[in-house]
Amino acid sequence: MQEYKKIAITKEEIRPIAQKMRDANVHLAMIHGFINDDGKPNVSYEYEIGPTIESYTVDGESVLPSIVDIYDLGAEWAERELQELMEIRFEGLNNDKRLFMPDVMFEGQGHIMVTPMKELIDKAHGRKEDKE
Amino acid sequence: MSYIVPIGPYHPALEEPVHARLYTDGESITDAEVFIGYNHRGIEKLATQKNFIQTLVLVERVCGICSHSHAFAYALALEQIAGLKVPKRGEYIRVIIAELERLHSHYLWLGIALHLIGHDSLFMHSWDDREAIMDILEELTGNRVNYGAVTVGGARRDITDDQRKDILEMLDKIEKSNIALRDILLADKTVALRTQGVGVLTTEDAYRIGAVGPHARASNVPVDVRKDAPYSSYDDFDFDIAVWPSCDVFARVVVRVLENVESIKIIRQALENLPKGPINLGTRIPKIPAGETMFRHEAPRGQLCYKVVTDGGETNKRVSIHVPTFKNAPTVPVMLRNNSVADAGLIIASIDPCFSCMDR
Repeated sequence: MQEYKKIAITKEEIRPIAQKMRDANVHLAMIHGFINDDGKPNVSYEYEIGPTIESYTVDGESVLPSIVDIYDLGAEWAERELQELMEIRFEGLNNDKRLFMPDVMFEGQGHIMVTPMKELIDKAHGRKEDKE
Repeated sequence: MSYIVPIGPYHPALEEPVHARLYTDGESITDAEVFIGYNHRGIEKLATQKNFIQTLVLVERVCGICSHSHAFAYALALEQIAGLKVPKRGEYIRVIIAELERLHSHYLWLGIALHLIGHDSLFMHSWDDREAIMDILEELTGNRVNYGAVTVGGARRDITDDQRKDILEMLDKIEKSNIALRDILLADKTVALRTQGVGVLTTEDAYRIGAVGPHARASNVPVDVRKDAPYSSYDDFDFDIAVWPSCDVFARVVVRVLENVESIKIIRQALENLPKGPINLGTRIPKIPAGETMFRHEAPRGQLCYKVVTDGGETNKRVSIHVPTFKNAPTVPVMLRNNSVADAGLIIASIDPCFSCMDR
């Protein structure tokens, strides 16, 4: 059966771990993130070690080093996605364009995962009424 | 002369919208960029507002082709957090639907690929077989897509003896034609000319970018979550991973035809050994404790990841969905380089892209 192992790390450990995994040809399943109860980001680097997911997690940091030079495009889209969804910045990631939403949507500002749903609906409505 | 050739977001070669920009030198593509987001619906945001059963219905609508895979993976993640043990019969039924879905998805893609190659008679044959699978899915679940076959703790619908007979009859029919399809594809000159040596993704690039599923297996990377990290009841079945070494569009065609054989094998074994007993743990909304996990499922296009975070309440704290196309789409610019503009549509389609899944 699949297992999930969470390992807390500091942001300084992100790149050495990524390099070690890449050298061993370990697949980076994904980089996930969510906002914890203190309103700070929680970012996990999920590596596949056989049936186990080793989830190296950095808690409370909103600026992280990019691993694009190690995992190439396999990490770039994941980092860009997180950057778009919540207030996290990846140092060394040269492409900060939105991946999903049009550049002009919501005046190019904000992150939908941390914006209250009502605010998003109001904004969308406002745009609709403006057009009419 | 160098040109920038835009493809999409709306293009006859694409089932769904995506935008690619090809940088060309004459007929040859020197570089390419892919832009996504045309199907973004904010499903992950919406999932934080819904309870677990509502989310199950919501995630099934991420995609119209691999809808069962999404519900299956989400249910598996919740079951792991809550430590729920699903009845064996329920597990088998979920696997049967998952493999039927893989079959219809592969036949859909084969049809599209053959149409793009210019072999329309084979395209019609493969979609004829797909219809037989769709009919069975409709008979089992009431729908051609969005089957609603999964609940947290098992399956929602049982398989009767009559339905079992119908599935086995359908498998006999498509198994015969799948063998014929394989023999034609391996020997046909038109298919070979349009696909061999086209859109190459080397094994090294596949590892470097992190390709998954049949796309990776066609680049000689033997990865398959069903084997590497068995889940549900996949441990009970005897099947092989289809791998092909040529790394081109031809390999992607062959791998999918070979995978059809394996899926048929799995469904037959599941039907022959279908355990007796309940199919789920009841219909009440389950109590899911606070927890966090990431679960992987081998969807038709490759590894589907569901990261679910719960806080003991009625809704999800976070549902993060990462789909195979999100891992495979970055390989497209690499595959396009040094190919001709005329092959671009086929090369983009060769990853079996699902942009609805990718954009969420």
